[in-house]
Amino acid sequence: MIEFSNWDLLRNLLLAARWTVLLSLTAFIGGGLVGLLLTAMRLTRRRALHWFVRLYVEVFQGTPLLMQLFLVFFGLSLMGFDISAWAAAAIALTLFTSAFLTEIWRGCIDTLPKGQWEASRCLGLSFTQTLKNIILPQAIRVALAPTVGFSVQVIKGTALASIIGFVELTKAGTMLNNATFEPFKIFAMVALIYFLLCYPLSLVSQRLEKKFNGAR
Amino acid sequence: MALVNIDKVHKYYGDLHVLKGVDLKIQAGEVVSIIGRSGSGKSTLLRCMNGLEAYQEGAIILDNKEVSSDERQVRALARSVGMVFQSFNLFPHLTVGENVMLAPKLVLKQSAEDARKMALDKLTKVGLAEKFDQYPDKLSGGQQQRVAIARALAMSPKVLLCDEITSALDPELVGEVLKVLEELAAEGMTLVLVTHEMNFARDVGDRVVFMHQGKVWETGPSAEVFANPSTPELRSFINAVL
Ligand SMILES: Nc1ncnc2c1ncn2[C@@H]1O[C@H](COP(=O)(O)OP(=O)(O)OP(=O)(O)O)[C@@H](O)[C@H]1O
Ligand SMILES: [Mg+2]
Repeated sequence: MIEFSNWDLLRNLLLAARWTVLLSLTAFIGGGLVGLLLTAMRLTRRRALHWFVRLYVEVFQGTPLLMQLFLVFFGLSLMGFDISAWAAAAIALTLFTSAFLTEIWRGCIDTLPKGQWEASRCLGLSFTQTLKNIILPQAIRVALAPTVGFSVQVIKGTALASIIGFVELTKAGTMLNNATFEPFKIFAMVALIYFLLCYPLSLVSQRLEKKFNGAR
Repeated sequence: MALVNIDKVHKYYGDLHVLKGVDLKIQAGEVVSIIGRSGSGKSTLLRCMNGLEAYQEGAIILDNKEVSSDERQVRALARSVGMVFQSFNLFPHLTVGENVMLAPKLVLKQSAEDARKMALDKLTKVGLAEKFDQYPDKLSGGQQQRVAIARALAMSPKVLLCDEITSALDPELVGEVLKVLEELAAEGMTLVLVTHEMNFARDVGDRVVFMHQGKVWETGPSAEVFANPSTPELRSFINAVL
């Protein structure tokens, strides 16, 4: 058995945590962009697009993230695509994130009074002008807190990527445990690192909530 | 031709027949008060006049343009018709000045300087020029409604539609808004007001339109209509509200 000092363990976990962060960022940015596109589709007057967005959101919200991960990873492999665990995890998490962000943002836009749309329309603003000048500036304030709050779910969701063999924080913990048989110590460290990643985001989210709740 | 021509307009919400053949002509410079019981279709008629709602039969010609709820048509119409709402609907993230300047800049493509001049002019008219840089939530309801009027006026509309614009206000703030309307009327602005302010309808309005069951039930010069209602429905309505 190899000897690991505490520092060795921590160092290895922190190195692996970089991948957790990178995967989270990828999923969050990718999911945000796809989510924006879906949100825009929802705001148009095309019924077909509304249905597509609804189906998309329902599918990704109504199935476990792990299944989505499996489907992307094994599904694409079966279809003959040579896909790495990293790519599969990034794709699955992006899809997952986009569905949730779309739903969150829909709620935020829907909280704006209908009168804002009507007043814009009566003043002759086009759909895009209304969106850009009236709806988005207000919706963004409302959306900030829940969006940052959701990023915590994304970070925790990346742990599932360990199951398809992607070496991020959780997988690194499992591997170190297999080598050292010190599960309590190692998983406590893993949990602590997750906490240190997530807690500041929760705090920021709560601050934003307070700042914008009810205020202009 | 009258400024507003409403010809046998029918409007349905699903199975609900809300406007049942409305005929109404409004001349430029007229001040028309629309009165009637709740649910008689007053708001619906107003909203059909600027394309916020689609109607299914008949025609509305306003400022020689056919009104439809088609996106492009509604935007073209916004230059002819302004609207003030019961709930103000100011843009809360913009200052008073920005609220008023927005549409002239974006829609009429006015320069920042021209839009500013226009906004100051209209805000002066409603007595709120000094609130130019305030946010709406710092203003009283009456002040917010006056800003909403200035915002509509900044588009230089030919006719201003007002849907119960004093109904959401505390009683002591109603007067300042009615005063602005009175001044506009005196300047010759065409006003179409859905209102519960019967005294205002009688004293300032040229004409009263009584809506009942989705139709223009009775219409005529204000003083006459209030003194001598010719239908029993209007008589009982006036007795109930005065
Ligand atoms: N968006 C809508 N969908 C379905 N029905 C509606 C809608 N808006 C109004 N109605 C119905 O149409 C009828 C006329 O409504 P409208 O708002 O025009 O009445 P109103 O005369 O303005 O009444 P009030 O004095 O209460 O404002 C009512 O029966 C109302 O319930
Ligand atoms: Mg009404």
